[in-house]
Amino acid sequence: MIAADIISKRTVTSTASATAQKQKIKVNIVVCLKQILDPEIPSRDFRVDSEKMEAQRGGASLVTNIFCENALETALQFREKFGGRITALIFAPAGGEDSLRKALAMKADAAVHVINDGAAHPDPLAVARVLAAAVRRLGNIDLVMVGRESGDWGVGQTGGLMAEELGIPSVSFVDRLEKQERGLLLHRQTDQGWENVEAQTPLVVTITNDDQNLPRIPKTRDIMLSSRQPIIRWSLEDLAADDAGIDVAEIRAGGGYYRVVDLAIPTKEIVCEMVAGETLEERVDQLADRIMSVVRSL
Amino acid sequence: MSRVIGIIFSSAGYDRAAQGVTGAGRRLADALGLPLQMVVVGGGGGDLAGSLAAVADAVTVLTVTGVADYQPEQTLAALTDLCRGEGAQAVLLGNDTWSQELAPRLAHRLGGSAAGDGVELVIADGRLRVSRSVYGGKAMATIELLRDPAVVWIRARAFDPATAREVPAPIESLEAAPTGEPATFIIERKSEVTGEARLEDAQVIVSGGRGLGGPEPFTDLQDLAGLLGGQTAASRAACDSGWCPPSWQVGQTGRKVAPGLYLAVAIRGASQHLAGISEAKTIAAINNDPDALIFKHCRFGIVEDYRKVLPLLRERLAAMRKE
Amino acid sequence: MLDNTLDSEATRPVLWNISQSWLLYVMFAASLAIAGYGLYRRVMAWRRGQPAARFDQPWPRLKMLLTHAIGQRRTVRERYAAFFHTFLYTGFIVLFIATMVVMADHRFGLPIMRGAFYLWFQSLIVDIFGALVVAGTAIAFVRRLVHRPRKLVLNDESLRILGLILLMALTGFLLEGWRIAATADPWGVWSPFGYLVARISSLALTAKSMELAHVITWWFHSVLVFGFIAWVPYTKLLHILTAPLNIYTARLAPSGASLKPLDLDRLAETGEPMGVRTAAQLTWKDLLDLDACTECGRCTDVCPANTVGKSLSPRDLILDLRDLVRAPQAGEPAGITSTVTAAAPDSLWQCTTCGACMEACPVFIEQMPKIVDLRRYLVMEESDFPETMQQAVTSLETRGHPFRGTQSTRLDWAEGLPVKTIGEALDAEVLLWVGCGGALIERNQKVVRATAQLLAAAGVNFAILGREEKCTGDPARRIGNEFLFEMLARENVETLNRHAVKTIVTSCPHCFNTLRHEYPQFGGSFEVYHHSEYLAKLVSEGRLASATPLDQTVTFHDPCYLGRHNGVFDAPRQLVQISSRRMVEMERRRENGFCCGGGGGMSFVDEPAGQRVNQERAREALKTGAEVVAVGCPFCMTMLEDGINARRGERDVRVMDVAELLWESVGKKA
Repeated sequence: MIAADIISKRTVTSTASATAQKQKIKVNIVVCLKQILDPEIPSRDFRVDSEKMEAQRGGASLVTNIFCENALETALQFREKFGGRITALIFAPAGGEDSLRKALAMKADAAVHVINDGAAHPDPLAVARVLAAAVRRLGNIDLVMVGRESGDWGVGQTGGLMAEELGIPSVSFVDRLEKQERGLLLHRQTDQGWENVEAQTPLVVTITNDDQNLPRIPKTRDIMLSSRQPIIRWSLEDLAADDAGIDVAEIRAGGGYYRVVDLAIPTKEIVCEMVAGETLEERVDQLADRIMSVVRSL
Repeated sequence: MSRVIGIIFSSAGYDRAAQGVTGAGRRLADALGLPLQMVVVGGGGGDLAGSLAAVADAVTVLTVTGVADYQPEQTLAALTDLCRGEGAQAVLLGNDTWSQELAPRLAHRLGGSAAGDGVELVIADGRLRVSRSVYGGKAMATIELLRDPAVVWIRARAFDPATAREVPAPIESLEAAPTGEPATFIIERKSEVTGEARLEDAQVIVSGGRGLGGPEPFTDLQDLAGLLGGQTAASRAACDSGWCPPSWQVGQTGRKVAPGLYLAVAIRGASQHLAGISEAKTIAAINNDPDALIFKHCRFGIVEDYRKVLPLLRERLAAMRKE
Repeated sequence: MLDNTLDSEATRPVLWNISQSWLLYVMFAASLAIAGYGLYRRVMAWRRGQPAARFDQPWPRLKMLLTHAIGQRRTVRERYAAFFHTFLYTGFIVLFIATMVVMADHRFGLPIMRGAFYLWFQSLIVDIFGALVVAGTAIAFVRRLVHRPRKLVLNDESLRILGLILLMALTGFLLEGWRIAATADPWGVWSPFGYLVARISSLALTAKSMELAHVITWWFHSVLVFGFIAWVPYTKLLHILTAPLNIYTARLAPSGASLKPLDLDRLAETGEPMGVRTAAQLTWKDLLDLDACTECGRCTDVCPANTVGKSLSPRDLILDLRDLVRAPQAGEPAGITSTVTAAAPDSLWQCTTCGACMEACPVFIEQMPKIVDLRRYLVMEESDFPETMQQAVTSLETRGHPFRGTQSTRLDWAEGLPVKTIGEALDAEVLLWVGCGGALIERNQKVVRATAQLLAAAGVNFAILGREEKCTGDPARRIGNEFLFEMLARENVETLNRHAVKTIVTSCPHCFNTLRHEYPQFGGSFEVYHHSEYLAKLVSEGRLASATPLDQTVTFHDPCYLGRHNGVFDAPRQLVQISSRRMVEMERRRENGFCCGGGGGMSFVDEPAGQRVNQERAREALKTGAEVVAVGCPFCMTMLEDGINARRGERDVRVMDVAELLWESVGKKA
């Protein structure tokens, strides 16, 4: 059963000028990527470094955060339909280049690597400031796409903070977008269902996953060729040079927004407790009590 | 005068999430020695404001002229003004779509810091510390917010509701003026109110395996799931046998679920299946084989033929629900 | 009567009733020219193919030719074909020799068509084989028109061919009979069927009218024969020529070694397709394969996917490719692979690479490697393959194993066992290659435990790679991602060589096959044993002994990559026999074993209900009445356990690895 309630429908003004605009505008998209520890690392291999307040890498790989890949996929599909140019952007240590190479293999048009030579996990405001500065430096960006959150820290603030840093609006949990005669039409997921949002550019959107934006598997040829494509590399100093908002020392130190004071693996010894009781009835009563206490705590 | 502000969107009513936000807000306000002001965003929440008034020190119903309930830029601007005006020391929100969308931006506008998905809030050295699950539930982190105000969206269901005050708080209405031409505009909304929410989102799942021996017992599992407000799922073997729709399949090749309670009935626990429930918080099992692998992953269980257990269990749970 | 007529003068006049016999040679030349042109076109088509080294090692090749082309060993495996094809094949050879004898005698004046040879061979034997041709054609007609087995394609061409052969044979008998009657041949009875025709004809026709009928029929018969010769290269009769050639140039290595490497760097550089896009990427041997197909349908008949009702039919794939390759544009611009996939999008992704098709093919066509070649193009150039396989591939890229979502680590299985990694045991004589299936699928961890404990019990100094081990790349290669396979292979070879590994034992036949046949291509040459082979060796050396054989009936399921692809059939059976009291065999076993459904990346695909290969195999295993189904492969283990559990009902049937069986029978002593 689907209950629909349409809030309002704005009428489109001046179609003539809008059509002219449509032909002129080539949407310039930046997709921000994050590289994270493989979220599928088995629990038994998962260790934390309580000095550095981060997970130990061990033998696990670093991967591009899945929501970032969803964002890139959404951008690629948008470009296929409406044209445009996609720049993949990452703020990461040298190894972050792998995520950019994969983005290029998936057919992003350009790649920008802001080298992080400071704290491993700068706080979300530091990250947002760096990314926003890079977006400003690129210039003429219409649309910034980021993943809704990352699979490691799950912070979920980069998009919103970037919007504020850039002084532009943002819409979260988008899973599809289309170009309209005026601006964009965004489809986004909500707790109860979905919403369609009309938006003007420039704009930040955070992308969530949907069965339509599963990241494509790059073609082998493109993987092989991606290793030769150019990557633009900027240091924090490069960004600070023409951007007063960048405090290099503070970013290298991890930022001044928040800090992690504790990171620990919760000790959960799983021992199955078999419900006890003389009779079957007693045991089932026990079972029912346990079930109910779990359900009530949810 | 500074205060703790809790923000609730009117559309959902005084549900468990709203209760959690209020409860967390109350305890935080008490810890800081500040009053708790609950803000209802959007009109029409008459009952909600009343319920909040019973537990808060002040209630404000905030509307924006021309906005039915929510428009990102308009609502954000109105909330920023309100929080600034009231001198918010801490702002709490739930973890619904709109709260998550607004919280970081609100923090930024207020010059504060935000953190999300909090399950525990403590004050240490005058700073708010937020505990949350990280690395896909493999670790817990405590984050200290370095700027004021602290803006936190919380896993509201993790917090107990607040207890009622002796004197209900006053309820005031505030209508904010819209700020210019908004660049984003929600034009259409659909609520998919269905009995079949996504299995991935289910809080309770009752699942059946090959040991059920046929399709009929799934009706009993559905009854049980209904009693617990949950959904029904199955192992690959059961789906393979055609006892239930393939969409019910949980496992490596099926759905990956993360319920609060996963009750496995007559499921042995092949790794194929376990791979789909590794994010479940509590797993419980009914199986007549004490060596069934599933028990190695359970918090509790019963070694008994499900045929004997299910009728009794249903009766008992139904009775408990009535209480 | 025979004795009276058996004299040295016995012979018959050649061309007794025929004038203008030069016309014969004109017709012969014309038919040769037409046939020659057809053949020339085929040969030119093959020559356009990519290179393939298939003319090395002449002696083993000649042996293949003798066994399978002349000896027809595979052809006669099938009861019906044993008659039908043997009658036609031998009949044609005998009649060909008889014609040569006539030519030698008549044209070159060699007086060989005389006396006993004339009577025994040229008359009696030739007459009988002529009759066999008629019988063979009749069987084929009945088969096609009455029985209509699913595996045969009933088309006009095959009926026309059969009709022509039948007509040639029947007109031959008429000519024979009329000659005997009209010339009152004293030795006519030596050609019994011709004699029969003569006797019957004499009742109705005068000698004069028989002579006239003879002339007309003789020329008609000649037209048929030369027409037949001319027609050969334009029909599936081409196999008369291509089959022996295809057998001579067949792959000599075990079928486990049938996938060829690609020079991906070069392909990336030149822009040529990775994998097969058009006919241009096929080797001459691939093209010859397509022209060698006799449409017998045996490959499709044994194909596990086809057996359970899926759309994949190796024979149809070969014929579709043949038609596309022969078409003027050769499948352009879409390319043959896209054209084939457009027609049946799922088929290529139903192949388990079990190799049953290749084993069944009487003319040694290599169907499976072609499927992988097509997959390569779809995977590497189009990224167009099933989503669940994509997940396996992505997991291989990032984690070095294909099992997305596993919570196991490479060392969990060894918990509590004194197993050392190669870094800790530099003197280890044997490396136990655990494999992802062994380490990361919970059920198989017990198999590796049993294997390790058996090795320890026998005093073998072994070690494991532990976390340094990566997937061998088998699933990547079979799915068609050669790039990923190469990366994994290079990495593993580097690791193995760094540790100076010489001997490897593994309980996974897929790892076994890849380590043994495919790593030498990347500079990794090791002595590789499947654990069943190594354990059987330890048993025969007296280092392991079964104390209390299991008192249960056990059947053994041949893993494709151990059995058919590598010819290891006996070692696992030896282990079963010493570990249990009773062993029973399934109907499809050894070379003809039926896949569990898990190879070729198929274990990562959710097969539609009712079309599951594992259930078909489980059904067969249960039919034996066995209480234990023994396996020797982690993929077979999961596939068959699923299948058996879905079908066993109330029966208690276990699936166990041969190492577990042995450990149970040995371990009780320990």
